[in-house]
Amino acid sequence: MSKKHTIDVDKFSLVKVKPSPRNFIFFREESCDGCGNCALICPMDLWRMRKGRASLLAKYRERCLECGSCYLACEKEAIEFGYPPAGSGVTYERA
Amino acid sequence: MKRYDLIVVGAGPGGSTAALTAAEAGLKTLLLERSAYPGEKNASGFALSSKAWRDFSFLQEMELPSMRYCRQCVAHFLSPPPEMEERFVVASGPSRRMSYPEARDFFTVGMLRREFDPFLVELAEKAGAELRLNSLVTGLVFEAGRVAGVRLEGGEEYRAPVTIGADGVLSLVARQAGLRDKWKPHEVTSVCIVDFTAPRERMDDVIHEAGFQAYFGPGMGGNFLIAYADGVHLGGPGVTNSLIARAVRKGIKPAKELLETLSAPPVQRLLRALEAEPREWQAHCLTWMDRMPENVCCGGLMLVGDAAGLPEPLYAEGVWQAMYSGRLAAEVAKEALEEGDFSPGFMRSYRERLEESPVGEEFVAGAQLRQLFEMLGDPRVCAELEEMAVDLAVHLLMTGQEPKAEAMGRIFSILAENVPALMSLARVYLPLLLQVSEEKMRFYASLLRGIRNIVENFLSGELGF
Repeated sequence: MSKKHTIDVDKFSLVKVKPSPRNFIFFREESCDGCGNCALICPMDLWRMRKGRASLLAKYRERCLECGSCYLACEKEAIEFGYPPAGSGVTYERA
Repeated sequence: MKRYDLIVVGAGPGGSTAALTAAEAGLKTLLLERSAYPGEKNASGFALSSKAWRDFSFLQEMELPSMRYCRQCVAHFLSPPPEMEERFVVASGPSRRMSYPEARDFFTVGMLRREFDPFLVELAEKAGAELRLNSLVTGLVFEAGRVAGVRLEGGEEYRAPVTIGADGVLSLVARQAGLRDKWKPHEVTSVCIVDFTAPRERMDDVIHEAGFQAYFGPGMGGNFLIAYADGVHLGGPGVTNSLIARAVRKGIKPAKELLETLSAPPVQRLLRALEAEPREWQAHCLTWMDRMPENVCCGGLMLVGDAAGLPEPLYAEGVWQAMYSGRLAAEVAKEALEEGDFSPGFMRSYRERLEESPVGEEFVAGAQLRQLFEMLGDPRVCAELEEMAVDLAVHLLMTGQEPKAEAMGRIFSILAENVPALMSLARVYLPLLLQVSEEKMRFYASLLRGIRNIVENFLSGELGF
């Protein structure tokens, strides 16, 4: 049987974000208990676990889809979520 | 600082329908939207139920380039990973027993929010509502203990005796008003979507009107495929593993589960046949409540759509709910203005009417509906039910390998062997039945009718056994 072409998805190349000029996710490291919910749920892998605590990638403003999953999954109130200012952030646009 | 009769925060389907209804009723209405154009921030494709055509006459005129009618729903049940091949498929057209004509004609229409949201906003504007884009609401203005307006980022203020919060699942309006802190992990789902473009001719040939398809299987969360004119999107995990509480309890990464389903051979074959190209990766959260939320209004404020937690308990369908609640909230706003009463007590009539409306009815037996769906997420139950469906289908309809009568005679032993799986279904289904009194009456009536038919046929000698 011939090898069939596999349709793969590189999610990072499939998002269009105009980076926000200011922060819109605020992380209180001292409240984090290292449960890892944010790292598990984030569809863009923007949270990493380091030394038993979560950390948010510095470049999140270039990739965040503003879904709020991390904020909703955190049970320790360590993550606060706003929105990027008008005119920035993710754009879902029919090319 | 400008004054209005009504401020609507968020120009999604709920907000725009509220603004349209209010403007048509003569209210001076301001519609605020944080994005650069309506629909910009929303995951692009969705399926709108025929309910919307029943309830909103303005949809009769809607012609959007992305629209594709769904007159066939397909459920694919796959074998467990890593094989993930099709074991059982159910496909069905609309039922003649549906209670209104649109539902007897089609299930849903797939289309893009990029087109639908602007369509609704334009109707609202034509009716006289004032739209302001690029307007992120960051605070509420309070007066005498009730909401009296909103504040934009940058400090600009707008005043109105009534505000409608239509700002989605993360509703800042709800939080600012103190109606909730945030949704709990068992009240929300996190859904990822891969959106594909496909040539229209391929879509017409391969998908045609099978516009809503779902992939289930033991150990899978259930993924859904929605088709529009020139593309499809595959999203999920559906409403089983995507529930945030369940995902974190079981350590399931929604994004990873979606990509696994994407790599399943039947999905790959479909995408190849469609000549589909990945276009966009999307993610969003939805509320998924098993009962109607309580805190949806306070003095001078009503919440609609996802901000109110109205997506229904089985599939978390939410656009029709947003539109319906938006219209209802605008009607209550009009009455409040006529009466000059913006108190929490008056706004409470919105919650009461919502509960009695078709939106509220969707929450009847919500806990059981949720359980029914979650059972498909249990690998053991799902595998048993799947193999039982295969056994029944093969022995009843597709038996060419063995003597026909012998194969068909096995039906009862197949059912008997599956008593445990059927019992677990019945444990959820029977309490559900008891909560829907009307359906219960119909059930007994059809049972009696069936027995009468059997007796009559038997007496007249028409029944061949």
